[in-house]
Amino acid sequence: MYSLEAITVIQMRNDEDLGSNASLQRPEIKLESLKEDIKEFFKISGWEKKLQNAVYSELSVFPLPSHPAAPPEHLKEPLVYMRKAQGSWEKRILKSLNSMCTELSIPLARKRPVGEQKELLNKWNEMGTDEPDLSLFRPVYAPKDFLEVLINLRNPNYENGDSLSFRTHLGLIQVPLKVKDIPELKEFFVELGLTTGQLGIDDSTQVPPELFENEHVRIGQKVLAEQDSAAAQQYIRQGSPTALRAELWALILNISSQPEDILYYEQLKTNVIQHDLLVDSLIYKDVKLTASNDDYYFVFEDYLYQVLLCFSRDTSVLGHFAYNSASPPKSYIRGKLGLEEYAVFYPPNGVIPFHGFSMYVAPLCFLYHEPSKLYQIFREMYVRFFFRLHSISSHPSGIVSLCLLFETLLQTYLPQLFYHLREIGAQPLRISFKWMVRAFSGYLATDQLLLLWDRILGYNSLEILAVLAAAVFAFRAVNLMEVTSLAAAEAVLADLSTLKVMPLLQIFLFATVT
Amino acid sequence: MAGKVKWVTDIEKSVLINNFEKRGWVQVTENEDWNFYWMSVQTIRNVFSVETGYRLSDDQIVNHFPNHYELTRKDLMVKNIKRYRKELEKEGSPLAEKDENGKYLYLDFVPVTYMLPADYNLFVEEFRKSPSSTWIMKPCGKAQGKGIFLINKLSQIKKWSRDSKTSSFVTQSTKEAYVISLYINNPLLIGGRKFDLRLYVLVSTYRPLRCYMYKLGFCRFCTVKYTPSTSELDNMFVHLTNVAIQKHGEDYNHIHGGKWTVSNLRLYLESTRGKEVTSKLFDEIHWIIVQSLKAVAVNASPSLTSSTANDRILKYNLINDTLNIAVPNGEIPDCKWNKSPPKEVLGNYEILYDEELAQGDGADRELRSRQGQSLGPKGGRSRDSGRTVLTTWK
Repeated sequence: MYSLEAITVIQMRNDEDLGSNASLQRPEIKLESLKEDIKEFFKISGWEKKLQNAVYSELSVFPLPSHPAAPPEHLKEPLVYMRKAQGSWEKRILKSLNSMCTELSIPLARKRPVGEQKELLNKWNEMGTDEPDLSLFRPVYAPKDFLEVLINLRNPNYENGDSLSFRTHLGLIQVPLKVKDIPELKEFFVELGLTTGQLGIDDSTQVPPELFENEHVRIGQKVLAEQDSAAAQQYIRQGSPTALRAELWALILNISSQPEDILYYEQLKTNVIQHDLLVDSLIYKDVKLTASNDDYYFVFEDYLYQVLLCFSRDTSVLGHFAYNSASPPKSYIRGKLGLEEYAVFYPPNGVIPFHGFSMYVAPLCFLYHEPSKLYQIFREMYVRFFFRLHSISSHPSGIVSLCLLFETLLQTYLPQLFYHLREIGAQPLRISFKWMVRAFSGYLATDQLLLLWDRILGYNSLEILAVLAAAVFAFRAVNLMEVTSLAAAEAVLADLSTLKVMPLLQIFLFATVT
Repeated sequence: MAGKVKWVTDIEKSVLINNFEKRGWVQVTENEDWNFYWMSVQTIRNVFSVETGYRLSDDQIVNHFPNHYELTRKDLMVKNIKRYRKELEKEGSPLAEKDENGKYLYLDFVPVTYMLPADYNLFVEEFRKSPSSTWIMKPCGKAQGKGIFLINKLSQIKKWSRDSKTSSFVTQSTKEAYVISLYINNPLLIGGRKFDLRLYVLVSTYRPLRCYMYKLGFCRFCTVKYTPSTSELDNMFVHLTNVAIQKHGEDYNHIHGGKWTVSNLRLYLESTRGKEVTSKLFDEIHWIIVQSLKAVAVNASPSLTSSTANDRILKYNLINDTLNIAVPNGEIPDCKWNKSPPKEVLGNYEILYDEELAQGDGADRELRSRQGQSLGPKGGRSRDSGRTVLTTWK
């Protein structure tokens, strides 16, 4: 499967002996059987597994091989009009950031004086007690601003004529992307079916653990012992036992805390201490407005700063822009506008936080309490999944497709409800958008959220967010049919904290007559 | 079986009154014929005091046992636990087993504690053995964190020395008595913060002991990061978790009040520490509760003041479930009541310990534990976990 040269190179790099020639001259190495011996060595030492996991990890993120002549932009986003829209949106965000900067006369970045550095270092574990004056800062944008942009997206090549037909899409999203229908979703999410055991359903009090739970836990332990990413990903489709979840997620995301990872995190921390960025204030404000007020996550406030401040400075995150339709905002050293040699990405990781951003990190605090591990897991979750929730693209897990999927599911399978809500000025997407952008963090109870995110990892797709959103509407349909305003509809759907995610999904996909 | 339950209370709290009214019970005054009286602590004292007290009749229930203060007052509780342990030892009960260092294997759940000023000299002897330790002083008769402070030098408690010329303790009135305990300065921290547990336990009968634990207990967090550093001994926001204290801290947040549900705690511990350790922790907590109850009687004054909207809902439901167990079916109380209530009325309570059931057929017990009635996030519990050494929970 791997070329012999590649194997040999890796083997030599790991060799702690002198030069590459020295190892070839050892008596145990027989040239005739070199290829088989190396393969065997890989198996025994565990390196084969690690390689497989690494390859699997890469495959999860990159799209299928495309035409060799396709330019790099196509990897980011194949459709021109989407790229253009994303570009305009980014310009707007950057303009907003720059004007806040100018208004408040605060530089985008500045070096901290030594005294301030010392103070911050002392307070590193309790930055939440700091009360800087954040009243003048506003979030750069909120999800609803982003929704307006998506609503106005149009494909200039698509003309569907003036006449309305039963095929007319009545929702807010008006771009023709392909989304799955329920039969396709049933196939895609086959492990969520009625005849397969699930955590989140078959581990409730009334079900004796011998029927499913005990065996599932046993298999989970075996998967962990094997350290196989692909197996873990398959396994977790049925949910993860609480005690195994932290390790399983790390295995699927291919995160192992090596000394160099811890060192890297410490380096980022040093960057935070030495330089102050404008986005830091945005992060502070966001945490104070969202996570600090949350019933479950307020305890972890300080961890959130420790993760997000470092995240802003992590240039390795720039790598994900190769497959993200977004591009990192560029800023120029003062007086050198337009000169590429003086261009810097701002913030260093290219990601400008928006209102609610810190909620991506908060649930992870329930699983990892060691800061550098927590950091690595979050970073990987971001570059694999979360970035898709706030960039404009045609990817099936991109927010545009999720919105369209949600609306299509409602219009097709709950037409009466959809029509009614539309009539009273309560387009369903206006309510469910914020749930999907945040991957439901802060809306569901933590244990339910973790069961949901298990499936995101298991299926390597965010489509489940749209399905859940539709399932929630289906569940509360009776009440929703009686409301007569958007505000009333919002009220019916304001509190999702008592919902049980897996039964809702299962009923919607597998037990509703279509 | 006619007639509605007649109730009285001298605590004007909506969580109580709404519950009485929704059952259609009739409000009366204390001079009339009442069946159910939810009393404040002062009233309880009067009712059960030797001079001013009176006997309850067979159709009257109150919300505290006569000797409730045996648990409220810290000095009495300590005395009771020490006495209980000695009694078990005398009987040769396996519960009182000790290890080679003389520490109780199963009953070591109270840190070294002394009464002041009575045990002052004993305390000094112990203090001198480890002079760098920290001790916590708690006034016997107060609650909600009032009057508590930490010390690490003998000079800080000179007042309580019996020989002290500056002692104002000639009377040794119980109001000024304190208990002093070894302070545990390596508590479990979450998010770097110290927290405690607020669990609700209902005791419906004392002999035989029948008690229930409310599933929806909660943890209360300190607003400030914990540090064992001696310079912060005075900072009560670091060390004391009582909401009454934390409420006045700068960082106190009025939306969530620094609380987590116990099921949240359980999720966090299982995720970060594993299932076995977490189950063991909760089993041991339940164990301590039952043993304490066996040693003494019931706590007097849980706060019925609600600090947040969620809190109000919790307490309303708590009282609701409590009343369902204490006054089943809204029948007029009868002191001859002795049956265990059926499972349906428990609401969010779970059987913590039922002496009659425990003393029943051994085969029954086996069956119950196999069905896994555990007090976990899903509401089940395995009673025998890890205690096969002991022949009895009885």
